[in-house]
Amino acid sequence: MANTVTWARVKSPWVLHFNSGACNGCDIEIVALLTPKYDVERFGVKLEPSPRHADVLLTTGCVTQQCAERLKRVYDQMPQPKFVVAIGACACSGGVFAGNYNVVGGVDKVIPVTAYIPGCPPRPEAILDGVVKLLNALNPPKPKKQPKQEKQPELPKEEVKPTVAQPEVVASQEVKPVIEEAKDAKQ
Amino acid sequence: MPNSNIDIINVIESKLKDKVQIQLGQLGKAAIVTNDGLHRDVLKAMVEADEKTAVSAITGLDLGANLGVLYHIRTSNAFLTIRAEVPKDNPKIQTITDIIPGAVFHELEVADLLGVVFEGHPSPGHFVLSEYWPQGVYPLRKDVKANEIKLNPPPPEEAKQPEDEKVVKIIIGPQHPALLEPEKFAVTVDGETVTKVEPRIGYVHRGIEKATESRTYLQDVYLVERICGICNSIHACSFVETVEKILKTDVPPRAKYLRVVALELNRLHSHLLTLGHAGLEIGYETLFQYFWRDREPIMDLIELTSGNRVYSSLMTVGGVRRDLKDSDIPKIKATLEDLRNKLPFYRQVYEDEPSLKMRMRNVGILKREDALKLCVVGPVARGSGVDIDVRKDEPYEAYGEIPFKEIVYTAGDTWSRMNVRMDEVEESINIIEYAIDHLPTGPFRVKAPRVVPAGEAVNRVEAPRGELFYYVKSNGTVFPDRVKVRTPTFANIPAFLKTAIGENIADIPPNFVSLDPCFSCTDR
Repeated sequence: MANTVTWARVKSPWVLHFNSGACNGCDIEIVALLTPKYDVERFGVKLEPSPRHADVLLTTGCVTQQCAERLKRVYDQMPQPKFVVAIGACACSGGVFAGNYNVVGGVDKVIPVTAYIPGCPPRPEAILDGVVKLLNALNPPKPKKQPKQEKQPELPKEEVKPTVAQPEVVASQEVKPVIEEAKDAKQ
Repeated sequence: MPNSNIDIINVIESKLKDKVQIQLGQLGKAAIVTNDGLHRDVLKAMVEADEKTAVSAITGLDLGANLGVLYHIRTSNAFLTIRAEVPKDNPKIQTITDIIPGAVFHELEVADLLGVVFEGHPSPGHFVLSEYWPQGVYPLRKDVKANEIKLNPPPPEEAKQPEDEKVVKIIIGPQHPALLEPEKFAVTVDGETVTKVEPRIGYVHRGIEKATESRTYLQDVYLVERICGICNSIHACSFVETVEKILKTDVPPRAKYLRVVALELNRLHSHLLTLGHAGLEIGYETLFQYFWRDREPIMDLIELTSGNRVYSSLMTVGGVRRDLKDSDIPKIKATLEDLRNKLPFYRQVYEDEPSLKMRMRNVGILKREDALKLCVVGPVARGSGVDIDVRKDEPYEAYGEIPFKEIVYTAGDTWSRMNVRMDEVEESINIIEYAIDHLPTGPFRVKAPRVVPAGEAVNRVEAPRGELFYYVKSNGTVFPDRVKVRTPTFANIPAFLKTAIGENIADIPPNFVSLDPCFSCTDR
């Protein structure tokens, strides 16, 4: 049963978009994701207007004083399990607006954040990549049984530089068990 | 047009000679220094002489012992500033909202951020700041430190019920599917008819005007660009133009043309975005997807010419940071030609599609006289028959040398406002093609000093949403003393409050989106 729920969640995550005081740059890129060129709906991602039906909260903006309270309320209204993606430099840390008198600065000062997607604004591809990475973390690929091998000396790994800003998935308290599972699976 | 050749300075001189001091050539065409409430008399004289007299912006200044209030007024052929000062310990000044109703929001903002008391203002109260903002702290005053402000705790919530059962108050926002941005509108309805709209803006107020004072001019270019993610080039362009006015820097002709190309590409993508968004709001999602599909090639062009999809930081003091490659020109022209060929189809959709006509024709009618009274700008004014376009009225950059049509519709409904944008898309394509064909040779940037001499300047440009106003005051250092931004949506919201009343509640989304609202601009 749990597998079925995870399968359903990964195949059709409903996302809610909340602007907590952003400049529209990230927001327009999120909307651009839904349009024919990027078409995020092919991954089953659907933009959902109500917090009560949403699985993932996409937040943008540097969190102004007026929005902080509302952001918390929207987060509280979402059903468990819930995930928060902070999109853009402002949502990650406050960005250029950090330190201003009406700015709290960073979504993680108000609610726990699962994934950060930096960029000003991140390209639609980067947002897409971030959402897919989050979904993969929820449903890690099962480890394949491998034949026993003798230990070989480790070769130095080549670093591949990403072409677009790579979102980093950071565990918060809410999703810790899931992420740990993912780590186990990789090992 | 009547009154278009009137010399407004003569009018003021003849009526108020010896009482006011006229400084020609400062802050627009002239700065008029007044005291003891004479700003009202000057304004009255201007309104009587010229029907197009409107308040562009009101700037509040902290001058030490006094608070300065600058009324930036545009008439049909001039741009003037009326200067007044009030003592800081008793900052009272007479309101001008009875002479020009469009000044309501401007006065509210100055009152909220600088603590000037406008006597006789119809609705004083917090406008952009939080309700829990501490009393007596005005963020734009120089003695206020950003990190020392502590908000009051929120009071316990009380459920309020309207007394009349027929009248219902509907709260739209701050989180609402129709609004991409967090703003609150309390709409009172009687049955299906809207009787009152109370806006509560300020959810996106980031304090950018204050933040510019602690950054250098060069850093400010990047900061003011981030006021708005849609019309970002125009913000950067207007700011650098204002600084160039104080520096008296001459921008090379090639940079002027390259700026025009960047600004018009910006206008193209902004207009296509809005035309599509209007489709979404009336439940016509196909139209939305079509327009946004055709917007993506324009985004690619912006990336090609400036280096990034959204924030390109192309503008800099003294020119642009990047030249246009000759090898890119065929691609730009081909993409623009593609878009031009698609426009007749969209025109036909707007002309013939019955569902679109039903939702947009005769919805949210803004009459010409109301548009003038409320001081609206941009496509909203041009949709109501008011022919104001800064590109024509006070040409900046290379707009004086480029031929283009000023689009004016007279019906004043939602459909007209959207069609102004539709026609401007075609004009923008023409402007870009002309600019590329007539691109002058030479440098695209000159070196400008980092330290700006003491002085002040005003600047107006035509953003996709209308007239954008900048005021910069420098104090001889690398940091500006005051930067004031008045964005087009700020001037256009009164039009929505006026047109929504008496209409069906279901008509609010198309009416609202026809203003092309941008709250990150409005709140700053």
